[in-house]
Amino acid sequence: MPNYAMVIDLHKCAGCGACAITCKNENNVPEGMYWSNYIHRTRGKFPNVRYEFVPTLCNHCEDAPCVKACPVGAMYKDENGLTLHNPDKCIGCKACVQADPYGVIYYNEEKPHNFWSDKEEAIEKGTSSGKEVKEKYDAPFPFYNPDRAKTYAGVRPKGIVEKCTLCDHRIKDGDVPYCVASCPSGARVFGDLDDPKSEINKLLNKYSYFKLGENFGTKPKVFYIREF
Amino acid sequence: MKLTRRSFIKAAGATGVIAVGATGSKPMLQALAESNGTEKAKSMQGEWRPTVCQGCTTWCAIQVYVVNGRAVKVRGNVNSKSNNADGKVCPRAHMSLQQVYDPDRIKTPMKRTNPKKGRNEDPKFVPITWDEAMNEIADRFLELRKNNEPHKFVLMRGRYTYLREILYGAFPDLIGSPNSISHSAICAEAEKFGSYFTEHNWDYRDYDLKNTRYVLLWGADPLASNRQVPQALKMWGEVMDNAKVAAVDPRLSATAAKADDWMPVIPGEDGALAVAMAHVILSEGLWYKPFVGDFVDGVNRFKQGATVDPETFSEKYTYGIVQWWNLELKNRTPEWAEERSGIPAEQIRKVARGFADAAPRAISWLAPGTAMQVRGGYAAMASHALNGLVGSTDNVGGAIRKSSIPTNGIPDLKPFMDDIAKVGNDHKKMDQRGYKEFPAMKKGKSGGGVVTNRLADGILQEDPYDVKMAIGYWNNLPFSCSGASRWEEALTKLPFFVHITTNPAEMTMFADIVLPAAQSVFERLGYIKSKAGTIAWLAMNQRVIDPVWDVRVDETEIPYMIAEKLAEKGFTNILDYFNSFKDPETGKNPANSWEFTEHVLKIMTQPVWDPAIKSNGDQFRGWQEFKKIGVWNSEPYKFRNKWDDFGTDSGKFEFYSESLKHALEKHAKKHNTDVDDIMETTKYTARGELAFVPHYEEAYRWGDESEYPYIFFEHRSRLNREARSANCEWYQEFKDVDPGDEKWGDVAKVNPVDAAKLGLKSGDNVRLTSPTGKIECTVKIWEGVRPGTIAKCYGQGHWAYGRVAANDFKKHMPRGGNNNELLPADYERLSGSTARHGGVTRIKVEKV
Repeated sequence: MPNYAMVIDLHKCAGCGACAITCKNENNVPEGMYWSNYIHRTRGKFPNVRYEFVPTLCNHCEDAPCVKACPVGAMYKDENGLTLHNPDKCIGCKACVQADPYGVIYYNEEKPHNFWSDKEEAIEKGTSSGKEVKEKYDAPFPFYNPDRAKTYAGVRPKGIVEKCTLCDHRIKDGDVPYCVASCPSGARVFGDLDDPKSEINKLLNKYSYFKLGENFGTKPKVFYIREF
Repeated sequence: MKLTRRSFIKAAGATGVIAVGATGSKPMLQALAESNGTEKAKSMQGEWRPTVCQGCTTWCAIQVYVVNGRAVKVRGNVNSKSNNADGKVCPRAHMSLQQVYDPDRIKTPMKRTNPKKGRNEDPKFVPITWDEAMNEIADRFLELRKNNEPHKFVLMRGRYTYLREILYGAFPDLIGSPNSISHSAICAEAEKFGSYFTEHNWDYRDYDLKNTRYVLLWGADPLASNRQVPQALKMWGEVMDNAKVAAVDPRLSATAAKADDWMPVIPGEDGALAVAMAHVILSEGLWYKPFVGDFVDGVNRFKQGATVDPETFSEKYTYGIVQWWNLELKNRTPEWAEERSGIPAEQIRKVARGFADAAPRAISWLAPGTAMQVRGGYAAMASHALNGLVGSTDNVGGAIRKSSIPTNGIPDLKPFMDDIAKVGNDHKKMDQRGYKEFPAMKKGKSGGGVVTNRLADGILQEDPYDVKMAIGYWNNLPFSCSGASRWEEALTKLPFFVHITTNPAEMTMFADIVLPAAQSVFERLGYIKSKAGTIAWLAMNQRVIDPVWDVRVDETEIPYMIAEKLAEKGFTNILDYFNSFKDPETGKNPANSWEFTEHVLKIMTQPVWDPAIKSNGDQFRGWQEFKKIGVWNSEPYKFRNKWDDFGTDSGKFEFYSESLKHALEKHAKKHNTDVDDIMETTKYTARGELAFVPHYEEAYRWGDESEYPYIFFEHRSRLNREARSANCEWYQEFKDVDPGDEKWGDVAKVNPVDAAKLGLKSGDNVRLTSPTGKIECTVKIWEGVRPGTIAKCYGQGHWAYGRVAANDFKKHMPRGGNNNELLPADYERLSGSTARHGGVTRIKVEKV
């Protein structure tokens, strides 16, 4: 079975955020949650200043602390090396959130996408409301992506957690994760870590790399090459 | 509106991640039953449909994934052959999903019931029918025409497709008004000034990034903003592998952050750098001789301070290199430039040498930051002239033009223009173009270009006359123009104003009638022309979903409906004209506004889709196939085809601009004066022949330094869809992808040195005051700006537009402050441009 992983080329990354925005689009991620995220910082002193941008996501660790922490087996490693979450088993205890050193698991404290339940109108009878727009369509919200529900809850309900699945629903159909497909800089490469001929292994052989929180002992599978 | 902000990952660095995990207070099991969309999906049954993204001026051909009538995703059009191919597109395009489904869109025509206008007046809009709206608008037109004053109607155009030929072109002509006023001069006309008066190109350039070895950016931030963002995003890794990048920008921009050299110029002093680089290139003998030529005996006489005899130099494709040296460059040393620009002489030398060493594969990339300044016309010329010195203009790896895109015009309207219209059309335009102080010399013609921002003063001063009626579309002038409060006053003064818009914009709040517009990506028809990476393209805006509301296409359907109503009331000319637009395939006349729209589109684009017409690019089997593909690509650009005749007065690339001399002299003559007087009137310091060469001009600033200690400058966001995306949740959630900016925020970026002096910390609320206005926003202490300057992104500060964009829509409370309320209305007058850049004003900062 494959052991899926990702390489992010920081030299190519332009810090545009398309990965983070399109992840929300693909996975119906509610406001305030960032399955695909980024770290940025500005270092140095004017005029010798460096800006750095590091896109982040679930590291799909080989030794995933969130999986170990989950008391009900809702968080699990699948046969392809992905760290996945079963919403039907999840009891919302947030043990995974506490155990996760990367801050990539989010808890649904409220009903998600409540923007689309809102009845307020900016101009009475002249503009609409979230609720009115939503009710025109047979979907949880107007641009809801039904593909997400092939392998996960299309929208994760209040009271459970949610996280990046590396777009397992797309991988299953032979496609790449949406952040990879939509990165306009071609900075993300997805593939099988166990396949020596995979593009990611070629890159990892060619360049030195680092991983986030290597000292955590989690064996993360998102690799970063070159510099921003 | 309640928008929650859950905590997001904040980590200290790449190798030591500290997680601030999202935590909640209710660890209880929740019923899964309340979820929506947890059902196992049927296989996705969608279709990718082609259209256009007009979130910036790249105008990408894109595709929208439509599932059961819903737009679900967006990607680049896979049929595009430019470098923004592969289905990739910049972050802006994705946000358009939140625009079309924005609950704050206008869903019906509306009428104002509160006659009082002003920011703090509730317009008390009430819904009306399309028929009622058209009835009232038609009556107003007939009233103007009855009184022989149809010229007192103004059409204010903002963003557009080329179907503008109807609402902006033909319609006012047939009504009898010369006042089709475009937004172009708040965009980047001063940039075109630079390339026009050197090489006769009144257009934006394309860039051959694939083959370049040096990219020198003048206030350009191609990884974030116009005019070819996806090509830059795609190519930049390769550019950095093959070339050096230097960014002249007072702010550490997205592109400066990745550049080899960041040159944080003191705002408005860009010209000093450009002429100093030219000085280095000439004095060190680094110019590209196959393009510029050489001294006859091969001995370089460009020695600092030395006047050179023109007879000793033999030029090839250029004109006036020696005059440029003698008049301007001979003493423009890097040391001289260091004092003015704040950039070390050694860095200027290094960049100039690197740039010239790469000749001719070296791009000098001119952008609004350097051009859209009060004295930016000559900075634009100087920075563009560097392409001439290194022979990169129109050359491989350089700054190039675009392949032609064949289109048709619209049928002749003269037979439909009556005497009332003819007389009306003879009046002067309301934007004061061509006045002595507003030469606006588009393509060298005095008054040939628009002075968009001056229209507000024209209306307020009734100069040249009073305006009685206006229609605005796809624009938001009291938000997008500097000196914004003048626009609020001008719109308050207008007796009758119709706004065609998707959202309740600031401008809408002054309208008497509001008409809901079809959203440009998903609901309309239209076509655009653009270019990137040697490919020019024509792509069509198409209706890829059923419109969310009862909307109409602004540029064609609405004028058609007004024409129908005018015909009902006895004035049939416009409808007769519109109904003469035959479908090129069937020969049928239009039966309604939608068919008319299709006919206009088919007529204008026929040269690219008609298989009987051979084009310089993709061939199609016919209209249906073109509609399905959605984009026509040209053949790759052919380099160096302008070298033999640039079209300038001398036919050469002009370092001494005979073309500008000619244009200025004509303008001066029109006003019975001389060029020196025109220079003074237009706030330039040059006198004599200096006015005809690219030269340094000291930055012009409003405000006395003692009262207003800080230079304010603004920049663009990589998420702005031309200030129409602030009502998108994603815009707010990801605003921090602009270096230095904050999610959901509007920050003034202040250097730590100044922050310490002012006793400010990040997050403090401050009032920024200029001599003409004040706004409030938040402080961000940041090293990416120079001490003494304060930077702020344009785009936030909406007090209308919607409930996300505004802090409180109903109370007109902005989210942050709009820069244009702070910036004075000033101009680069030779091009008519609004001078929003170059640190046009000083400000003071107070904690509130």
